[in-house]
Amino acid sequence: MKRFLVYFTFFSNLLFAFDQEATYLVLNHFDEPLSDIDQSLIDNFNNASFNFDESVNLLFDDVDSDNNPASKYMDQIKELGNIHHVNYILLNKIKHIDDRIIMEGLLFNTRSGGLVHRRKINVKDYNNGSVNEISLWVGEIRNKIQKQWEEARESIMFLNPEEISYDKTPMGAALRSLAIPGWGQAYSGNPLSAGIWAALELSLSLAFISSYTNYDTSSKSYLQNLKLYDATDDEKEVSAYRASAEKDWDDHVMYSKLAIALAGSTITGWVSNSVHAWVFGPRPYTNIYQKGLPQTAVPKG
Amino acid sequence: MRIINGLAVFFCSTFILSSCTIYDKIFDNPIDFKANEERGIEAPTLVFYPKSQTKTQADSIIVGSFIVFKDDSTEPFSGLQLQIEFPNNLIELDTILPGLFLKDTSQSTPLFTYTYNEENLVDIYAYFLGTTKLDLDGTGHLADLIFNPLTDGTDSIYYNLNECILINHQDEEIDINGNRAAEIIIE
Repeated sequence: MKRFLVYFTFFSNLLFAFDQEATYLVLNHFDEPLSDIDQSLIDNFNNASFNFDESVNLLFDDVDSDNNPASKYMDQIKELGNIHHVNYILLNKIKHIDDRIIMEGLLFNTRSGGLVHRRKINVKDYNNGSVNEISLWVGEIRNKIQKQWEEARESIMFLNPEEISYDKTPMGAALRSLAIPGWGQAYSGNPLSAGIWAALELSLSLAFISSYTNYDTSSKSYLQNLKLYDATDDEKEVSAYRASAEKDWDDHVMYSKLAIALAGSTITGWVSNSVHAWVFGPRPYTNIYQKGLPQTAVPKG
Repeated sequence: MRIINGLAVFFCSTFILSSCTIYDKIFDNPIDFKANEERGIEAPTLVFYPKSQTKTQADSIIVGSFIVFKDDSTEPFSGLQLQIEFPNNLIELDTILPGLFLKDTSQSTPLFTYTYNEENLVDIYAYFLGTTKLDLDGTGHLADLIFNPLTDGTDSIYYNLNECILINHQDEEIDINGNRAAEIIIE
C-alpha cells in the first residue's frame, strides 16, 4: 500500500510537471489586427505558458514550397527555443480574403526543431471568427476544446435549413435537360457531360429526322407510283411503276421502322438525360470547412 | 410544369409513332400479270381495263379488253374469238373498236368484226394481218367496248371463257388460263 502511494504520487507529479512545462512561444502574423488575442490564449489555457514575440518574421514563408517542410526551420526553431526557453513554437497566420478566413497554424517542437502539428483552414468569416479559430486550434493542441467555440463556429451554418432556398436544384437541372438536352448538366457545372448529352441527343434527333424524311419521301413516292400504276394500261409502264412502287414500299417500311427505333432511342435518351441531370444535379455541400494537410506538407519518413 | 412536360413528351411520342403509317401493298392492275397471279389467275388471261369505273348517266363507258401474258411464257397468237357478256339492264352497247395491239406496224385496221345478239352478248372476231410478221406476242390491247348507261346501279362485264378462243397462225389453239371481269357503277 505504501509502495502504491509512492508510485501514484510520483506519476501524478510527473504528469503535472510535464503539463506545467508546456511553454509556447506564440508568433502571430495577421493581416488585420486582433485585439485581446494574447490575453484570450492566456485566459483559456491557464495551465500553459505563452510568450509572445511580434518581432520574429523568419518562419512566415510558405512551407508548402519546400520539399521537407517539417524540418525546414529546424536550426532556427531550436535557437528560438533556447532564447525564449520554451518547449514549442506556435505560429499563427491569418489572412482575410473576401468573406473568408484563411488560417494556417504550425506547431514546432523546440527540442527536435521539427514541425509536429499543422492545421490549415479556409472558413467563412463569422463573428469573432479569427479569435475563435485560434482558440479551436490551440484547444486541439492542448486537447481542451470548449463547447462554446464549436457552437460559435456552427453559427456560420444556417439555423433553419428548411428555410434555405437554393439557387440551383436537381429538379431545375432535370427540367432544363428535359427542355434542351445537356442544359441541365451545363447548369450543374458539368460542361463535358452537357456536351456529350447534347451531341448524343442531337445525333439521334438528326438521324430520326433523316429517317422520317426518307420515310415520308418513300411513302409519297409509293402512293404516287401506285396511282400511276393503277392509271395506266400500258404493259411496260405498269411493270415500271410497279417496280418503283415496290421499291418505295420496301423503303418506306424500312425507314418507318428505323424512324420509330430512333424516335424511341431519342425519347429514352432525352428522359435519361433528364434523370441524369437530376441525379447529378446541384446539391449543397455538406462539408462547409475542411481541415487537413495538403499532400506536400505531410512529413516524409 | 412537370405535367406539361410529361404531356408534351407523350403527345410527341404518339405523333411520331402514329405518323409512321405502313401502307398496304396492293397492286391490282388487271394488265399486271403479277397482280393476277397473286389472285390465283394464271396467264394468259383475258381482262378488262379498268377493273372498276364509276360513271354518271351522261357519260360513256369505255371498257378495254386486254390479253395478259406472263413475261417468260408468251405464246405468239394471230387470231382470237371473245365472247363478252354485259348487264343490258344497266348499260347498252354503243360501239366496239379494235385494240391497238391488233394493228400492224403501218397502223392499218386488222381483220376485226363482231356480232351482237341484241341482248347481252357480244362476240368479237379478230385476226392479225401484219406485213412483217405472222403473230403477236405479249400483253396487249384487243378491243375497246363503248357502252351507254341506261339506269343507276352496279354490275359487271365479263368474258364467257368457254366461248373464247386464241389461235396462232397455224390455227392451233392456245390455252386461256384465266379471266377477270370489270365492275361498272352508274350513279
